[in-house]
Amino acid sequence: MNREGAETYLRLLAEAAMRRALAASPGQRLAGSADPGGHRTRLKLVGQALATVGALDFGTLGDILVDFNLAMAVRAASDPGRGPGQALATSLALHGQPVHQLPMTWGVRLGLGRAEVTGPVSPGAGPARPTGPTGPERETGPDDADRFVPVGLKVPFRDADVTGELFLMSFTRTRAGARFFAVWNIRAPALRDVSLIPFGQFTVADDRGARYGLEFAPSGDSGWTSEVVLCPAPPPDARWLDVTAPGSAAVRVGLGAPDAGGTGNALVSKTETSPGEHLLATIGERLLTAVPDQPRNPWRQATAVAPPALRHMAAGLGDIVGALEAADVLSPLSPVPARLATLCASLGIAEHGIMAPPARQLPEPWLSVLSHYQRRKPEPVPLLDGYAAMTAALPELDGIGLTLLGLHHSEGGSSLYVLARGQLPEAFLGPFGIDPTFPLSVWLRDSGGRWHAARPAERRRSGSRDAEPTMRLQLVPPLTRATPWAEVLAGGQTAEVRTRLPLRWGYPS
Amino acid sequence: MTTMPNDDWFTCLSRCQAVVPCGSGQHVVRWEAGALELDNHADPEAERVLAALGGGKARCVEVAEAWTRHAADLTVLLVGPRGPDGIVVGWEDVDAADAYGAGPGPMGAGRLKPGAVRRPSTMLAAAMARASAQRSQLLQEHAEARQRRTDLLSLLALGPAFQVRLAGQVVAAHASLLGEPDEQGRSRRPALTAALEGRLALVAERWIGIDPDYVKASLHAGPGWGSAELTGRGEQRRLQVSLPADWVARVWACGLALVGRHLVVAVDRAGWPDARVLALPAPGAEPVLLGVHARPDPAAGPGEGNTAGDGPHWEI
Repeated sequence: MNREGAETYLRLLAEAAMRRALAASPGQRLAGSADPGGHRTRLKLVGQALATVGALDFGTLGDILVDFNLAMAVRAASDPGRGPGQALATSLALHGQPVHQLPMTWGVRLGLGRAEVTGPVSPGAGPARPTGPTGPERETGPDDADRFVPVGLKVPFRDADVTGELFLMSFTRTRAGARFFAVWNIRAPALRDVSLIPFGQFTVADDRGARYGLEFAPSGDSGWTSEVVLCPAPPPDARWLDVTAPGSAAVRVGLGAPDAGGTGNALVSKTETSPGEHLLATIGERLLTAVPDQPRNPWRQATAVAPPALRHMAAGLGDIVGALEAADVLSPLSPVPARLATLCASLGIAEHGIMAPPARQLPEPWLSVLSHYQRRKPEPVPLLDGYAAMTAALPELDGIGLTLLGLHHSEGGSSLYVLARGQLPEAFLGPFGIDPTFPLSVWLRDSGGRWHAARPAERRRSGSRDAEPTMRLQLVPPLTRATPWAEVLAGGQTAEVRTRLPLRWGYPS
Repeated sequence: MTTMPNDDWFTCLSRCQAVVPCGSGQHVVRWEAGALELDNHADPEAERVLAALGGGKARCVEVAEAWTRHAADLTVLLVGPRGPDGIVVGWEDVDAADAYGAGPGPMGAGRLKPGAVRRPSTMLAAAMARASAQRSQLLQEHAEARQRRTDLLSLLALGPAFQVRLAGQVVAAHASLLGEPDEQGRSRRPALTAALEGRLALVAERWIGIDPDYVKASLHAGPGWGSAELTGRGEQRRLQVSLPADWVARVWACGLALVGRHLVVAVDRAGWPDARVLALPAPGAEPVLLGVHARPDPAAGPGEGNTAGDGPHWEI
């Protein structure tokens, strides 16, 4: 990796950007745009890309951006038509944002742009009501084997105020503790108020009669998916758990063999992608998943092009390719920029700046999503709201181990939930809104052969499970049928893993 | 033909001066032979001591301190001028910008009313302590950033002559240390390369009419002055130039970059107002030695050379 080359490229880009911005007429500069020509946005985008692949540290990036903004501000203040005194202050307000708002270093340091939610949410935002013990009491022994069990069972509940059900998708027992991943549903009353759920009346006991405290933590922005943490964790050789809800009989959850790792039939294959190629592929997926899906109203025209903000950013793709080459993390012979050029053309993004001629072939998942957009016809019968149990622990990729927890389809959107373990620092926003701390590409193929990109949408850490956040990956496009099986493809920089899993769907009563 | 010069980088520069509003008066700040002088402050050091004891600090003294702080600051090169016209910043601009950044701080310092705080739980207290430490760090960095911005604006307000001299000073401080990391452990090359290309590109545009975006510069190391090669035709023209890092100080900052339609690539014999330079009549041509003479700018004000205005105007 050539860090000097990376920084030099960015600084030269800043020089060119300043030259071009100042070449614009004073009238344009006085029009009030904080970023005439989008030069500053592009500079930041390229810097973020270099930082994402580790070719540039955030301190240097922050310094360059701050100085660039100051340089632009003092020059803009010299424009004829601006009065003395307030001219520079006005220009600073436009070009040189307050220093705490601009550089990545500040954003990273303060957690700005984090997509993460920590701890319990406010009452009413979802089924969050911690009731059990916290901290080490939850944790399992250091030598215990992990256990991942697909469950797929409904636990109905009823009391004077509410009836509904808890759908248990999966059970996991890891170093950080034991918990179910579940979805709540309220049948009555019609006003689905989560505060009506009698969390405190749920009980869990194992095959030896031991009882466990329960902690309910929300997981997922819908508020209806939840982790149900068992305190303490059941022993590794527990055979089953009885989950009892108010107003109904116990539902028995078999935990399988004590050594059940639930790793599925995962196939691992090595890939030879450079850090630059991996980032460009991730950007391609980001572009693909940014296209609005088919409108639910069939009379409305579908949109098949990327939103303006992404088109604006995509104008910097050529510079990103150049920067990655300067940093020696992308070969000039790499086929990935050409694929990105083809993708941009397919999405109606004309000005991407990539010099490579478009590629004739695209990866199969990309083509699948593109063909979905280009069909421009909504599904005649939309998929009902539901959830599917699917559990598998995938082999570690780039230091991150993913465990699939289940699928949830609600209000026209589909989400894949995963448990992420390993090298996963706090999230922050990278280029195109990518989270550089989650460098994995995840795809799901349904039984109809359609691919769905699984875009990171939310990450949640809770208490002692800091090392094991759950993540919601939004499927784009969403599922259109209750596929009986799914193939999951997870790709890192050095390897990819595929696994095919049966799905057990459940629906609200 | 040329060897590494032993003379100071500023030998081809005359002295210059600027008027600074200081207290209730207008004081003269002077640059001469690489040093900043405060004509109206006989003992700046004593004034600094008094200021440290709680007295006010004179603006002239602040400016001199800012000059010292940034005389080897590579970031000056990104903010500073690319051409001899410099950047127009007035002292009222400096005051306005300083006031702009003087708010309560990024986290709204001082907004918490006394008496509004209840006794926190242990966890809450720990979280508050973390937040407080974070906020203190933030406020400190905010104050440092504001100080730095005020510094740079004050130095720009001294005028174009001082601006190019500061850039020269910074480049000269680093040019001979290319192989060593700076005090923060970073390479000096990226900032110096950008400083060279950003300035050379505009000179090349005036020299041969090429689009500045098609000028690529690199740092030349080793014997000789470097190289300049023009390739392609029409819109495909590209100019690749390799020059020593101190070209920005010895040539550009001294106003020598383009003399008599020649691109000056090195100073062979430094001096003011007469010097001898090595210059290219065209890309790819052999460099020639030229005797050059500095002509005072009539618009620059009184005194020797250009004592109050922008850079000198050299002619063959």
